[in-house]
Amino acid sequence: MIRRLLHIVLIAAAALPWWSRAHDGGVLDFTADELRRIQQHGPWPQAWSADPSNRVSGKPAAIDFGAQLFFEPRVSGSGTLACGSCHVPERDWSDGLARGVGMQTLDRNTPNLVNVRYHRWYGWDGAADSLWAQSIRPILNAKELASTPQRVADLVRKDAELACHYARAFDRTAAVPDDEALLVDVGKALAAFQETIVAARTRFDEFRDALARGDRAGAARYSIPAQRGLRIFIGKGNCSTCHTGPRFTNGEFHDTGIPYFAGTARVDPGRYEGIRQLRESRFNLLGRYNDDPARTTAVATRHVDLGHRNFGEFKVPSLRNAALTGPYMHNGHFGTLREVVRYYSEIDVDRLHADGEQILKPFTLSARETDDLIVFLESLTDFRTDWRRSKGGEPTCR
Amino acid sequence: MNARSFAGLAAGLMAACGTGAAACVPDLPGGGRKLESARYTLMYRALPEKIPMGRHFSLELAVCASAGAPLPESVSVDARMPEHRHGMNYRASVTREAGGRYRADGLMFHMPGRWELVFDLRAAGRTDRMTHSELIE
Repeated sequence: MIRRLLHIVLIAAAALPWWSRAHDGGVLDFTADELRRIQQHGPWPQAWSADPSNRVSGKPAAIDFGAQLFFEPRVSGSGTLACGSCHVPERDWSDGLARGVGMQTLDRNTPNLVNVRYHRWYGWDGAADSLWAQSIRPILNAKELASTPQRVADLVRKDAELACHYARAFDRTAAVPDDEALLVDVGKALAAFQETIVAARTRFDEFRDALARGDRAGAARYSIPAQRGLRIFIGKGNCSTCHTGPRFTNGEFHDTGIPYFAGTARVDPGRYEGIRQLRESRFNLLGRYNDDPARTTAVATRHVDLGHRNFGEFKVPSLRNAALTGPYMHNGHFGTLREVVRYYSEIDVDRLHADGEQILKPFTLSARETDDLIVFLESLTDFRTDWRRSKGGEPTCR
Repeated sequence: MNARSFAGLAAGLMAACGTGAAACVPDLPGGGRKLESARYTLMYRALPEKIPMGRHFSLELAVCASAGAPLPESVSVDARMPEHRHGMNYRASVTREAGGRYRADGLMFHMPGRWELVFDLRAAGRTDRMTHSELIE
């Protein structure tokens, strides 16, 4: 027994220096330019501000009302589907499916809702320019919740609990005669709730901030493979050209050569159709439902340009929580981060638009480099989902 | 010839040349980046002063015509990334203000890298194009 214990102690002693190196593995010799680029991906979280286009943004009573509505299946035409049916909190506010399923299977992957307050455009095609307008789209879409303004308005007017929440959120009775105006208020309450869904800090954020304050020991807690992956991300891989800033997205649209056939005889026009729908929408920020009288929130909508190149473009997704948000791409084309990394590493430029993004070129990662980039991407993930469904859905308004 | 009349003659010659030394001075309080074409001198300044990546910004412009050149009938502003072979996702709007000044709104550089601002000044059936590169980080 003593011999065996001695053996264990010797092994542990021998392993200690290795463990120390692995745990405190140092910091790569990042250049000044690399350090500058790393800093651009923070700080996190970003400062939160209320949405001027939504008069109940940030208001606690509206957040409560929005939570109630988010999980309310009676909002849908069938009475069986809610926003939360596809945007499942325990699945990082998505559904884990390649393509969403509402009343029908959809053409696109269900976007997760984490950090949704910070978006400029909503949906893979950016057909909505505010979170409240986006919240209305699936409610009315025949393939998703397939509801109507009248159905939603009647529900809020007639259900005592919802009517009570409405009155608290909007400081007026739910007996609003205009169905569409009431629907827009429902969108705004839903938005107020979704604005609260923000990712927590990650291992990358700790590393970035440690570098910023010159804390080498703190930075060294970030694994060497993750650091090597970060170096590929901001360098050889050119990933940070589109996945910019603290949210790791520029919030705009690109054609990356992912097939945009939807079924056998249809194509998904992506951003092209998104801009067309945005311009036609009564709910866009140029319209009467924008609560920002100065329309400072409508700059992007007023100036967005429509061109042939928008065909087949889709929004650059944020990489925060990337490990939890698969399947990936606008149509769930890839099941794993490894497939995504391999796709870009070996991209076939012949599949890109003639007027597509000219920086997409194969960068041919080795097996170790592929692993490193994946380790880095996983380090952007907050695995500590603290949201609990009990925060919403309980009768609390009397 | 006294110094004052020499200066007047020199100024007249410069104006007659139309470009370079003859360029007029745009009235942009606070100054800015100056560009010249055959017929015009343009000065611009970004708002905010450091052009942000991924956020909308505006430009304040001032334009003056060299001697004998017509005033511009229209001023337009665009931008492109030559290395990426694409432009902005937004179309800037230009508003004419008093005193040869203009304001361009709705620009956005959505990627880091070299962007080329393009100013087109149109008058009498011709367009004077002026460009300047901005490195966005």
